[in-house]
Amino acid sequence: MSYMEDLKQTFLEELKSVKNLADLSSLRVKYLGKKGIITSELKSLSKVPPEERPSHGKKVNEIKQFIETELDLQESRLKQEELKRQLLSESLDITLNGKFISFGSPHPINKVLSEVTDIFVKMGFSVEEGPEVELDYYNFEALNIPKDHPARDMQDTFYISDDIVLRTHTSPVQVRVMEKRKPPVRFIAPGKVYRCDADITHTPMFHQVEGLMVDRGITFSNLKGVLKAFLHQMFGADTPVRFRPSFFPFTEPSAEVDIGCILCNGAGCRVCKGSGWLEILGAGMVNPRVFEYVGYDPEEYSGFAFGMGIERIAMLKYSIDDIRLFYENDIRFLKQF
Amino acid sequence: MRVPFEWLKEFIDIKESPHEVAHRLTMIGLEVETVEQVDSDVVFEVNVTPNRPDCLSIIGIARELSAAYKTPLVFPEHDVLAETGELDFNVDIVNVDLCHRYAGRVVRNLKIGPSPEWLKKRLEKCSIRSINNIVDVTNYVLLELGHPLHAFDLKTIKGRRIIVGTSNRVKGQGARIKLKTLDGIEREMPEDSLLIWDAERPIAIAGVMGGMETEVADSTMDIFIESAYFEPVSVRRTSKALGLKTESSYRFERGTDIKMLKKALDRAAYLMREVAGGTICGKIDIYPKRYKPDEINVRYNKVNETLGLKLTKEEIIDCLDGLGFEMKKLANSLKIKPPAYRREIKKEIDVIEEVARIYGYDRIPAQLPKATIMSQESRVKSQESKIKDNIKQSLLKSSFTEVINYSFTGLQDIDLLGIGEDDERRNLVQIKNPLKIEESFMRTTLMPAFIKDLIHNVSHGNRELRLFEIARVFISQKSEVSLAHRSSLIAHRKKDHELSAMSHELSSASILPIECEHLAALYYKEKSKALYRDDTPDFYIVKGVIEAILNDLKIYDYSFVRSSEPFLHPGQSADIFIMDSKIGYVGVLSPAIVDSLDIKAHKPSVIVMEIDIDSIIPYAMQVVKYRPLPRYPYIERDTAIIVDSLLEAAMLMKWLKSYSSDLIEDIYVFDVYQGENIPEGKKSIAFNVRYRASDRTLKDDEIDAMHKSLVDYILDKTKGQLRA
Repeated sequence: MSYMEDLKQTFLEELKSVKNLADLSSLRVKYLGKKGIITSELKSLSKVPPEERPSHGKKVNEIKQFIETELDLQESRLKQEELKRQLLSESLDITLNGKFISFGSPHPINKVLSEVTDIFVKMGFSVEEGPEVELDYYNFEALNIPKDHPARDMQDTFYISDDIVLRTHTSPVQVRVMEKRKPPVRFIAPGKVYRCDADITHTPMFHQVEGLMVDRGITFSNLKGVLKAFLHQMFGADTPVRFRPSFFPFTEPSAEVDIGCILCNGAGCRVCKGSGWLEILGAGMVNPRVFEYVGYDPEEYSGFAFGMGIERIAMLKYSIDDIRLFYENDIRFLKQF
Repeated sequence: MRVPFEWLKEFIDIKESPHEVAHRLTMIGLEVETVEQVDSDVVFEVNVTPNRPDCLSIIGIARELSAAYKTPLVFPEHDVLAETGELDFNVDIVNVDLCHRYAGRVVRNLKIGPSPEWLKKRLEKCSIRSINNIVDVTNYVLLELGHPLHAFDLKTIKGRRIIVGTSNRVKGQGARIKLKTLDGIEREMPEDSLLIWDAERPIAIAGVMGGMETEVADSTMDIFIESAYFEPVSVRRTSKALGLKTESSYRFERGTDIKMLKKALDRAAYLMREVAGGTICGKIDIYPKRYKPDEINVRYNKVNETLGLKLTKEEIIDCLDGLGFEMKKLANSLKIKPPAYRREIKKEIDVIEEVARIYGYDRIPAQLPKATIMSQESRVKSQESKIKDNIKQSLLKSSFTEVINYSFTGLQDIDLLGIGEDDERRNLVQIKNPLKIEESFMRTTLMPAFIKDLIHNVSHGNRELRLFEIARVFISQKSEVSLAHRSSLIAHRKKDHELSAMSHELSSASILPIECEHLAALYYKEKSKALYRDDTPDFYIVKGVIEAILNDLKIYDYSFVRSSEPFLHPGQSADIFIMDSKIGYVGVLSPAIVDSLDIKAHKPSVIVMEIDIDSIIPYAMQVVKYRPLPRYPYIERDTAIIVDSLLEAAMLMKWLKSYSSDLIEDIYVFDVYQGENIPEGKKSIAFNVRYRASDRTLKDDEIDAMHKSLVDYILDKTKGQLRA
């Protein structure tokens, strides 16, 4: 009996010294091959006395099983080690930079523009467009800014001819939409506008978003409600908002809308000129005279309009101090957005 | 408008601090932009909107504060006059419509000299330079009461006569009238401009500037002070035509207070006697056109409906009290007549604004409207903008960065691109008053701006550029273009704003240009050592992006055809077509153009493209329909053939696709090779064909036969041979 135990011990000793798959393979042959130790034991089973045969055979088979299992186990261990070695030899320097692909960046002006647009679209405003080369009629006349009116001085106009201008604001879209659509109307009109002015705070082309809402029973209180909701979404729910009287020929009453300075939190700084407030929007109730131009009955309908400059909002939002950066298109600037 | 706080206090008893007053002014519509400490005083910089000429004076600001604080105005005791002598002076107003009132006074025996300190100081605080005591007094009264005055040297007025009339009336139509103004410039008077004349000649431009010959000089002893009401539009036209803006014209063109005019005259005379020791003589006052305001009916309920308030009748009246209105109180409305200094108040809404202003915008609650559900009218529009947004997102994801360039261009840009005389891109819209000559047109192509962006970036060491822009171009509709042609163009563009403008355009005979939206992009990479190799020619990278964008829009009927754009490399450029219409181009920027630019990089290769987005939108609006996935397996075959090296892949594909079989699912070219083992003038093209049937599993021998037949067909078409 101890012969079998010895055999097992010898096998385990030999298995321990196996270093690779080749060693393992010869060990397998030595024990389990055609002339292997275990195979021979099984063959010589006939020499064992018949009464001992079943128990002896069982023992030999047990040890055969044991050896097979151990060999298989060792083989899979060795294979794993081998694979590991191979993969390690294939290793990359993972600290090298990835193959350069990068997404592009939207222009900061358009980034702010779509932010503004999204907020109003969620409030049920549609998006409209109008021509950038515009008739004097739409840009001024129908907005209650007649020729020879000092209000024309508020904007330096590029002229194409006596009747055609580069639009100085997005407000003409108001008239164009109302002309072809019956109330209720509720839309915004983003776009490029032009004024002949160029310095550190002015570029001859810039962007505005115009808005208009006309329906029965629209009040100044609604104007405040909608614009406050917009400004709180745009600048944060805690941002103070104030409305103060102003003048636009196409709205009455007119308002200038300020937010608490987002740079100094209202304490007063260079950007807000010490006032603690930043002018963000112009707004007002649509002047009945404009309704008359488009054929709306001012006794039946009322509405409000508003407009804002996108460059100004972008400059505040990103602390940009020179408006001209927007139009130099330096990739080092653009890539920051 | 600069307003010293101490001066303000002469008219109103203010207990509040300057900062509180500044805030109050801002909140009633007179925005105080800055509050500046000057010596022991405080000066406000007030932004007065064009509708409030009445606030272009100390008294005007004081009047507003009086209404806001419900505190009475105080007029200092200074109007008492000791008049002596008669005024043997003759004033005629020829154009009563342009001059509603004309008053004047003579002051004699004045001693012209420097002003006293208090006067100089006040003017200084308002940023007005002291000249002499007489001129200073007229300026002082201008600031204080808002009424412009003019002082003439009495002895220079010929014939003791003043005539107020236009350049035409007095001298006859078309005469050239010249006047040397106070600033020493001889100016030709515009037609219809209102002038002040003596018996012989013009001596001042009414409301704009006086003449030099009648100017008050050091030797002057007796003066004539003019205080008049000139009609705003007339003054504005004259001032604009002359390009001459003065403190005086600024106020007249906005509207002055016809009733304050006399007070201003007396105040000036009084002050001149104070500071220059003169004797005030009698006055003349011709007032042919009186201020007669229309009565305005203001309904209480309309006030509340407009503002969203529930004010009582009394509250409304309380707001308007103190604004100088004449009010008749009826049960449901007010009948209002505004004072002479508020001529812009004409309609009910103007009065409602006054109520809101004095009540305080901050006291009106903010309330979201009860909105009506909107109809679907803007659906097509939003579909369009969604497509444009998709295109933009595709470009951003393809690593292109967005730029915005000015819409301006110049002839030099069009010339640089070598654009031909008959090209539509020469139909430029010209700006009459450009800021720069190189920016005096609206652009018809986005490309020149990209060349500028390229130069700017490369000169700042930016070595990799992938830029794009989506913006409008402007094609002028020259008058030669027939109306029919125009309508068809407009209809083609399907731009409804152009359609709606038609009525106004036709009536005014002014034609707006066609505006359409373009996409342009530029790709530039400096040839530098790179960590990972990629030999794809840049042209194919940009072409690939265009294909991806079109495919994303479910547009497949596009083709690339060799381009003849003069600014592109003739061998490496293509025009892009959808069906039969050209929608744009892509290609390597012509090396000749690149050489002419001052770019310090070695042989830079620049790929550009431009597409008319508006023209592809109709193709993109198709609805996607699902196709079931195939249920049976496919069989693939690869084949390489040797063909003439000039044969383009598109031609080969066209032939391959012309082989009719329901079993061909897909064909693509996967290799093009020229060189070793391939004869001179030939190239090898390898393509893959995938076969599949929709109703059964294909058998190899069936496909072997079919593929052989396809290959025979294509070898026949291409006159090629199988590559061994």
